[in-house]
Amino acid sequence: MAEIELRGITRSFGAVTALQEVSLTVPDGAFVVLLGPTGAGKTTLLRMVSGLDRADAGQVLIDGQDLSRATPAQRNVAMVFQQYSLYPHLSVRENLAFPLKSPLLRTPKDEIARKVQEVAEVLQIAHKLDNKATALSGGEMQRVSIGRALVRQPSVYLMDEPLSSLDAKLRADLRIELKRIQQDLGATFLYVTHDQIEAMTMATHIGVLDHGRLVQFGPPREVYENPVSIYAASRLGQPRINLLPAGLFGAAPPGAATIGLRPEQIEQGEGSESTVRRVEHLGDQTRLHLRCQDHDLVTVTDAHTALQPGDSLRIRPKDPFYFDAAGARL
Amino acid sequence: MSRTSPDRVARATPGPVARRLTGLSDRAIAWIFVAPTIFLLLAINIFPLIWTLRLSFTNMRVNRPNEPVEWVGLRNYQRILNDSGIWETMQATAHFLFWTLALQILIGFTLAWLINRKFRGNDLWTTIIVLPMMLSPAVVGNFWTFLYQPQIGLFNYVVGFLSGADPSSFSMIADVRLAPWAIIIVDTWMWTPFVMLICLAGLRSIPESIYEAAECDRASKWRQFWTITVPMVLPFLMLAVLFRGIENFKMFDLVVQLTGGGPGNTTEVTSINLKREAFEKWRTGYSSAYAIILFVTVFGLASIYVKALNKVKSR
Repeated sequence: MAEIELRGITRSFGAVTALQEVSLTVPDGAFVVLLGPTGAGKTTLLRMVSGLDRADAGQVLIDGQDLSRATPAQRNVAMVFQQYSLYPHLSVRENLAFPLKSPLLRTPKDEIARKVQEVAEVLQIAHKLDNKATALSGGEMQRVSIGRALVRQPSVYLMDEPLSSLDAKLRADLRIELKRIQQDLGATFLYVTHDQIEAMTMATHIGVLDHGRLVQFGPPREVYENPVSIYAASRLGQPRINLLPAGLFGAAPPGAATIGLRPEQIEQGEGSESTVRRVEHLGDQTRLHLRCQDHDLVTVTDAHTALQPGDSLRIRPKDPFYFDAAGARL
Repeated sequence: MSRTSPDRVARATPGPVARRLTGLSDRAIAWIFVAPTIFLLLAINIFPLIWTLRLSFTNMRVNRPNEPVEWVGLRNYQRILNDSGIWETMQATAHFLFWTLALQILIGFTLAWLINRKFRGNDLWTTIIVLPMMLSPAVVGNFWTFLYQPQIGLFNYVVGFLSGADPSSFSMIADVRLAPWAIIIVDTWMWTPFVMLICLAGLRSIPESIYEAAECDRASKWRQFWTITVPMVLPFLMLAVLFRGIENFKMFDLVVQLTGGGPGNTTEVTSINLKREAFEKWRTGYSSAYAIILFVTVFGLASIYVKALNKVKSR
């Protein structure tokens, strides 16, 4: 496994700047999740690291070696594509064995068979090994695609939303499985997603991308508890952070335009008057949709709350985030 | 939903038609719809086939309508299968088939592969390459006879220029050894674009992302070509072979224009041979048997081939 370092990566497609001066270091054995909405440049960044695409400016270093101009094979990366990209004319077994058959590796036959079997069992596709790759469901194809990466020991695993097409149960299983594999192997992962649960549960570091810029990079808790901007704060947390005019609950620091309140930053029982609009019982918690001085907000309360729509509730902020007019944290 | 499409069709059907159709089962209506097609098929395909089969057991000659037609059983078939001349034409056809297919696949695939590497103006090149295919075989045959002219032909001139031989010292069409190649060259020139187009369709059907996956799986370009490109284009290639094979088994127009089967009978492929038997020697019964034998041969070969093709596809 290896450490990946990106220095000032810039890439444009015509007039569109996909990545702008992105610098970040993926430590050896880290699980780095890139978060951001569609078009933020996550996949482009992944392709830069893989070598499938070249940066206009900047360097890619793997274990301290400048491999900016190297091919994917030279970089020794394994990539899981969002659109599976299986070899349609081959069976599942042949798909999984394909990377191992590379002349660069010289893997003996029985070793290949053993590894393929092992990976197939972890991913619960052992019974499909002799199927043709195209005769699988979307979820199975994605697992084969993950398996094709896992049979190898590359310098880094690159994964482009690998769990997005799976059903909820399988996604939860594989989330844990991938994290376990990463820890067992001590592998370096660079993982793209827009699913914040994946980001929070698997990542050792989260990188938040906004229109091709890396706006924040750090451990998940840090990004959650200490976001640098409205944008970064909105990436994590469910229900989402409430963004309200800064002066809504009284005095705000100078320059503040917006107050950001996560549910746990809203203290119930004292403060400003608000009306309960809707009560959502989710089992382990209850979500309250509140109306406070003509502004909507959502918070969380006790699972067995007696509150009903129409009731009134006093709330006040507790250690809130303040942001300036441009959205930066104060 | 009450307004399903059968409902709408029912409502839109004029009264008299609707009255006549009610009482008919769905099956009967289906038959009414396909009847015209089936009738045409029977009239122009199946009936002549059966009629030919019937004639093949007789000694009928259409140019002697007054002679009584006799039933001769399998004698026509016996004579054909024992005729060494016919085996020679079969050999000429096989030789012609083999080389045209081999050359067209090799050149066609290579061209498709080159065109598929996205370079500037590749659409223009595609158009230029495809042009010969769009010409009439009669025209192609005619102007290649000019190109093959020993004295003024461009082909002979170029070959002479490249090899240093005297251009007028050889004639592609009149030479016994060269004449088959004259036809192979023209057929390849004319029909390679067709194979190229089919191969190009195959190559374009392979998503770029599969090559990217292979790139990440550390497969060399060479390995990508043999483990991805070739197997994925193979069904297309086999389809091209099927089309060209059947067409070339019936090859007629180019040969007539270029050599007329000569010199001697060196380029007399089966379809020319058959035409001579039927419409020059007027041996109708005999040539009917000949046609049936060819039909069974092509049909048999094509069926075996289609089976193989399906196997490759479902692999």
